[in-house]
Amino acid sequence: MSVWLLLIGLGLLGFWRAWAGYPADDKPRAVLARRETAFVRAAAEVLFPPSEELPLSGAQADLPGYADGYLADLPARQRGLVRALFALFEHATLIWPGPGLGGFKRFSSLSPEQRLAVLRAWEGSRSSLRRMCLTALKAVLILGYVGHPESLAALGLAPWKIDSPKVGADFLYPPIGQGPDAILHTGRVETGGGAPLIPRVDQESA
Amino acid sequence: MSEAETENDGEVRVFAQYARDFEEEADVVVVGSGPAGSVMTYELARAGHRVILVEEGPPFTPSEFRADGNISMARTLREGGLRSTTGTFMPILQAICLGGGSLVNSAMCVRPPNFIFDEWSTRFDLERTTRADLDPHFDAVSDFLGIAPTPDDVQGPRNLLFRDGCDALGIESESVARNVRGCRGSGECLTGCRSRAKQSMDISYIPEAIKLGARVLTSLQVQQVLGEEPKVRGVAGKVVEPFSGRTSHSFKIHARWVVLAAGCMATPILLQKSGDLANASGQVGRNLQFHPGAAVAGVFPEELNPVFGATQGYQSLAFLREGFKLETMWSAPAALAVRVPGLGADLVRRFGELPRTAIWDAIASTHRSLGTVKPRFRSMNPVIRWQLDPEDLKVMLRSIHVLAQIFFAAGAEKILPGVHGLPQEIHSIEEAEVLREPEVSPGSLVTASSHIFCTTRMHGDPAKGVVDETGACHGFDNLYIADTGIFPRCPSVNPMFTVMALAHRQAQALGERI
Repeated sequence: MSVWLLLIGLGLLGFWRAWAGYPADDKPRAVLARRETAFVRAAAEVLFPPSEELPLSGAQADLPGYADGYLADLPARQRGLVRALFALFEHATLIWPGPGLGGFKRFSSLSPEQRLAVLRAWEGSRSSLRRMCLTALKAVLILGYVGHPESLAALGLAPWKIDSPKVGADFLYPPIGQGPDAILHTGRVETGGGAPLIPRVDQESA
Repeated sequence: MSEAETENDGEVRVFAQYARDFEEEADVVVVGSGPAGSVMTYELARAGHRVILVEEGPPFTPSEFRADGNISMARTLREGGLRSTTGTFMPILQAICLGGGSLVNSAMCVRPPNFIFDEWSTRFDLERTTRADLDPHFDAVSDFLGIAPTPDDVQGPRNLLFRDGCDALGIESESVARNVRGCRGSGECLTGCRSRAKQSMDISYIPEAIKLGARVLTSLQVQQVLGEEPKVRGVAGKVVEPFSGRTSHSFKIHARWVVLAAGCMATPILLQKSGDLANASGQVGRNLQFHPGAAVAGVFPEELNPVFGATQGYQSLAFLREGFKLETMWSAPAALAVRVPGLGADLVRRFGELPRTAIWDAIASTHRSLGTVKPRFRSMNPVIRWQLDPEDLKVMLRSIHVLAQIFFAAGAEKILPGVHGLPQEIHSIEEAEVLREPEVSPGSLVTASSHIFCTTRMHGDPAKGVVDETGACHGFDNLYIADTGIFPRCPSVNPMFTVMALAHRQAQALGERI
């Protein structure tokens, strides 16, 4: 009986730890659950504090929105892996707690100083696996943060404005997900390999 | 137009056009539209054969390119760009799109020096695979794609500083020859060339093959080679939705000749899933080799305007015999920022240095580090086991030390070596001495690789290799392999040009047999 009570108690604690108490999300998300939104926001806040170098801080760069879009683009298995990565960091404080009182709380519930200390422990770990996990987390968030249009503009690294010239192949391939009827271009153009290609619409009218 | 002429019309078919199960017929079916598969398709179509080219990914046009590194990789690379090795962890970048890796590589076309082919020739009983044998095929591909050295006016400072650093140290370096026409130096090769300057296969060989009557069927995942030793009959598989990977309708393509050009992972898996086909030697899926890459960032006193310049415009082949090649590189700036060490305020401060930063890298010929490829349970994706050998690790560390010397010779004020256990920043050539033979483990290096080899290697002896010098599978009448899996060893330089030259030769050999 007491064993069952203990297991039920642990189950309730696990449920509370993993699911309960997260604030409601301020936006509808395609993939990201509210607990993941809270984690991404908490990690972004300490990874990218306000600075002179960049106009936005991590807290301002809508990284939950970025992560949500990225996850939506990933195949199912890889989406699961990235979500597992978020969950790992959120709950690994049970094994590697933050410093001070309440260091065992969920990552997103720690103070900013505690969160940074937790991430520093991952960065300096002797385990290459732990360091690799941190690199993976940083990669997801840095690409969203530095890749934010305002960050790139501030650094002078914004992509060029390029009006892509039409080449022969553009008359062969419809937009992804659409059929050949969606090939709208007309006109004769040069292809890279040599002789000009005749666009599909001209072929049909001929 | 007569019926015969209609049948000979080339076409492209895309995901939206598959409404039911279907069967097709051709003289030759080529599986995989990367550099080798595309060259094979074009050359065989040019010789008048009915060719079907099958590609698992979709065709991309510039409106579908994404500058964001994460999103771009999720859309154009296998497993969303998150494929990796086990053993020694290393991310593996492999494309899934029409044109294969050529759509998202930096267009480097490098002929391996004679000694590489001499090694291939003597160690693997490949008498007709010397540099002299292959030069006519390199020339043919070069002429078709307009391969030429990168001119100085599109190099940009981050490439030219590499040249200056090499010059100062007396290290030979050279402008990289690339398959581009009219490059403007936008540095976007790795996320898709919006300038349409890069002659990736989807805008060069494939359209020309279509003009000659080739049929290109995209969004088809080949799951089985039909037939058994000594004769195959075609391939079968499923329609696959772009990005999600969901499969639907079935297809079969009956062909007198089958060419597997699906890449160094997918080809051995396809053979293994087809009843361990062509594996009398036991070498299918073995001997896996990479060119692991390690990058060093250097921060200069002045702004470099790094978004301008060829993605990889300069290189040095001076250390090939030592086992590594040096090159410049660029990518989406945010993707390069991942390379920046630190957390919090330190990290953001270093982001501010990105406009003054150049990234140079080394790719290593890790001949001693071998691995295997096997299919994942109920999947066409691989389990990749690979271990970085300690001797190869030394080579990689040596390459980082040389890069550090070149950076400081070029005037860098500091470098970020990216090796765990060493200082995050090194400020002088004297400090860089810590890079000389440091005591670090393979996990201390952050590496990645898109160069993958040897899983269906060529060997003159059927007991030791999967294919012969023409790419024909030992013991088979009509099954060929044309991708970097047939390389007997890693080639020490970027492999695209070599695999295209080999494919050009293979197409001639196969064409004579048809």
